[in-house]
Amino acid sequence: MMNLAWVVPLFPLCSFALLLLFGRKWKKASAYVGIAATLLSLLAALGVLAGRLGGTTYEANWTWMEIGDVTLTAGFSVTALNAWMLVVVALVSWLVHIYSQGYMAGDERFSTFYAYLGLFTFAMLGLVLSPNLLQAYIFWELVGLGSFLLIGFYFYKEEAKAAAKKAFIMTRIGDVGFFIGMLLLFWQTKSFDYDDIFRAVGDGTLSPGMTTLTAILIFIGAIGKSGQFPLHTWLPDAMEGPTPVSALIHAATMVAAGVYLVAALFPLYEASEAAMMTVAVIGGVTAIFAATIGLVQTDIKRVLAYSTISQLGYMMLALGSGSYVAAIFHLTTHAFFKALLFLAAGSVIHAVHTQNIEEMGGLWRRMPWTAPLFLVGALSISGVPLFAGFFSKDEILAAAWANGSVELFWLAVAAALLTSFYMFRLFFLVFVGEARHRHDGDAHEAPMSMVGPMVVLGILSVAAGYIQTPWFGSFLGEWLTDGTYHHEAAPGWIAVVATIVSLAGILLAWLMYGKRAVPRDWLSARAPHGYELLRRHYYIDDLYRWTVVALVSFISRLLAYVDRYLVEGLVRLVTGTISAAASAGSRGQNGQAQTYGAVTVAGLAILVVIFALTGGNWL
Amino acid sequence: MTLSAYLALALILFCIGLYGALTKRNTVIVLICIELMLNAVNINFVAFAKYGAHPGVHGHVFALFAIAVAAAEAAVGLAALIAFYRNRKTVQVDEANSLKH
Amino acid sequence: MSGTDIAFFLLALAAIAGGVTMLQLTNVVHMVIALVMTFLGIAGLYVLLSAEFVAVVQVLIYSGAITIIMLFAIMLTRHHDDDKERQTTGGVWHKAVAAISVLAFGLAVYFGIRRLDFGAEGSALPADNAREIGKWLYSYYTIPFEIVSVILLVALVGAIVLAKKDGKGAEDK
Repeated sequence: MMNLAWVVPLFPLCSFALLLLFGRKWKKASAYVGIAATLLSLLAALGVLAGRLGGTTYEANWTWMEIGDVTLTAGFSVTALNAWMLVVVALVSWLVHIYSQGYMAGDERFSTFYAYLGLFTFAMLGLVLSPNLLQAYIFWELVGLGSFLLIGFYFYKEEAKAAAKKAFIMTRIGDVGFFIGMLLLFWQTKSFDYDDIFRAVGDGTLSPGMTTLTAILIFIGAIGKSGQFPLHTWLPDAMEGPTPVSALIHAATMVAAGVYLVAALFPLYEASEAAMMTVAVIGGVTAIFAATIGLVQTDIKRVLAYSTISQLGYMMLALGSGSYVAAIFHLTTHAFFKALLFLAAGSVIHAVHTQNIEEMGGLWRRMPWTAPLFLVGALSISGVPLFAGFFSKDEILAAAWANGSVELFWLAVAAALLTSFYMFRLFFLVFVGEARHRHDGDAHEAPMSMVGPMVVLGILSVAAGYIQTPWFGSFLGEWLTDGTYHHEAAPGWIAVVATIVSLAGILLAWLMYGKRAVPRDWLSARAPHGYELLRRHYYIDDLYRWTVVALVSFISRLLAYVDRYLVEGLVRLVTGTISAAASAGSRGQNGQAQTYGAVTVAGLAILVVIFALTGGNWL
Repeated sequence: MTLSAYLALALILFCIGLYGALTKRNTVIVLICIELMLNAVNINFVAFAKYGAHPGVHGHVFALFAIAVAAAEAAVGLAALIAFYRNRKTVQVDEANSLKH
Repeated sequence: MSGTDIAFFLLALAAIAGGVTMLQLTNVVHMVIALVMTFLGIAGLYVLLSAEFVAVVQVLIYSGAITIIMLFAIMLTRHHDDDKERQTTGGVWHKAVAAISVLAFGLAVYFGIRRLDFGAEGSALPADNAREIGKWLYSYYTIPFEIVSVILLVALVGAIVLAKKDGKGAEDK
């Protein structure tokens, strides 16, 4: 089955093409096309996974073009990581396709939405099958395009347009780093292929300095795509897109692309201490940084967005601490529970028509499916034992401890406390207590098309953890690393600390928002400046606006002047000259016989003069 | 006097007539200037009849024909002018610009 | 400086003066009078060139008939406010172009004239011009002669047709 892995991205691509051509005619049926395509992809991906489970890495390459003595190839490679990612992406995409049928029902551009989803899925699946950096870059950019299109789906809203542009431009900044790193690697190793690069790292062709440099540069691309500090500000704004988009792209797949990239290039990173440290530090800092901001947000989707940034920080921390398995494990579980949380949030928004959690409350009674599922997701992300999140987070903490970076370990633990706190703050404010929303009467449960995928994700949020546990066996770890994984028995107290911290967070949230034993503004009243700092996301958006954006707008205004006056001036000079010549010529056609006569005589005079000057030999 | 003197005189008269035909506004004056040009040409013919390579009265005959045709042309031109005047009530040349785009 | 030379200069001066004056005057009738001076000067030049018959024809036709017909045309198309309007068409550009091109043309041809040299001193033409012209006209140049008469007839008829009143012509059609 592995040799047919190229088929997997093909189905969503066909969906995209068909829906572009016929979507307008098919309207509601577009959903079925999209769902069918992703289902086929999922089945193919499962087949590929099954093949890889039993076998070894399969790679196929075709010559794309030859430039001088360099040959560029395109193809696909089915490593364990790739096969796993195929299934995760295809599965979440399929579930989101089903969910969107309910969520986006009635929208005029229904078929366009599914077309864009198809494009995005194609790009993401292509990315995780790439055997070389160039192909990965191409799909990387395509993924960015899909994200741009989907964030700006409601293009008639100014905020949506701005958010889409912001997302694209910020990830582009990261992509520049990726590109430069890629080119440096090509320069040194004469190849884009992962295998060639790893070989060069191994036998010393790539100097240590170059290794670090390229690793960090490529990581910059990952920072952009995965919303790490400092290129994180686009993710919260990307919530302007429809909720299924947030679930698919900004929770489960695209933002995980950065993690995937670092994981796929892991041998490159392992060879450089400095790069690993960079990855880990940025990951850890982002984790706690985003968690603190998420504490005070009032838009349900923004809380989830900051939570995503924070969890991605965890994954980077895991990678930086040397545990590739922990990162991928957390990526998987995060994909499931974050997608679940977003879909549940979408269901809530669908019910109460607002995104402000201050205007919600008491929805537990009214949403008998959504509420428990949200609770499952919240428990999973908070790392409560027996849920998937507990196992993956535990792996990460163990890796951080084993790596020896004590500060990062305690940062991660603190972030875990904050995670469970803000998650349950969200839960209590939305589902518990008296109803504060205006549409009290018609808050209803979501249709089955929306609930079904959530149920599947809920089950996975619990079950997915058991593929890698310290108690039941580390299947994932061993398979991903082809048997070289050895689970050092992590100190048992880590798991205990994690559990205590999660439960403490839940308790605190219940006290403040559930039982109201502690007043809500306990902290915000005591430290109003701190509160304001958090609420304004550490003023980073403003900082960017005052510096980077101002500088770039200044430069672009300057260039606009150059364009308008220099370039366009030159063009207008040419056209002006021609039209001046034309009007001068047309003035000679004034209907006056004497004008024509004068012109004739002038011509005659010229001829006669030439004849006289050249002695009659001018012909 | 030498031949070139007569030819130069004819040239001067021709140029005067040409300039007048191109710049004068009144159509009658334009026609008069055309007559002046034709006169200059006649001087040329007669001068060559006497001083040229084959002297004889052939030049005179040609000059006579030129005078006759010039007279005919003046008559027809003035008739056209009368018709134009009747239509447009003006004899200015620059009023005759219907061919202007 | 022989008498003929003086005569030539005087007559040439008269002809050119008449031409230049014609361009400078404002009144149309005055212009025609200046033109008559030119024609008479030219007639004198013909006499100097031993072309007596042509000189007489010149006086008859040009300073006689053509001058009168021009005066008729002027009088039939007279505006009374003619004198105050400007005399020349076009702007400065037009006049400049005309002047420069005429000047250039004149200079070029003048240089050509100067280099022309037939070397002949001027032969004496037969004294009885009229008989000679008649001999040639009715023997060698008969056909052009007949054609010129047809031209004159056509011109006559054409002039009448052109200048007829429109109303009568429309009724006839």
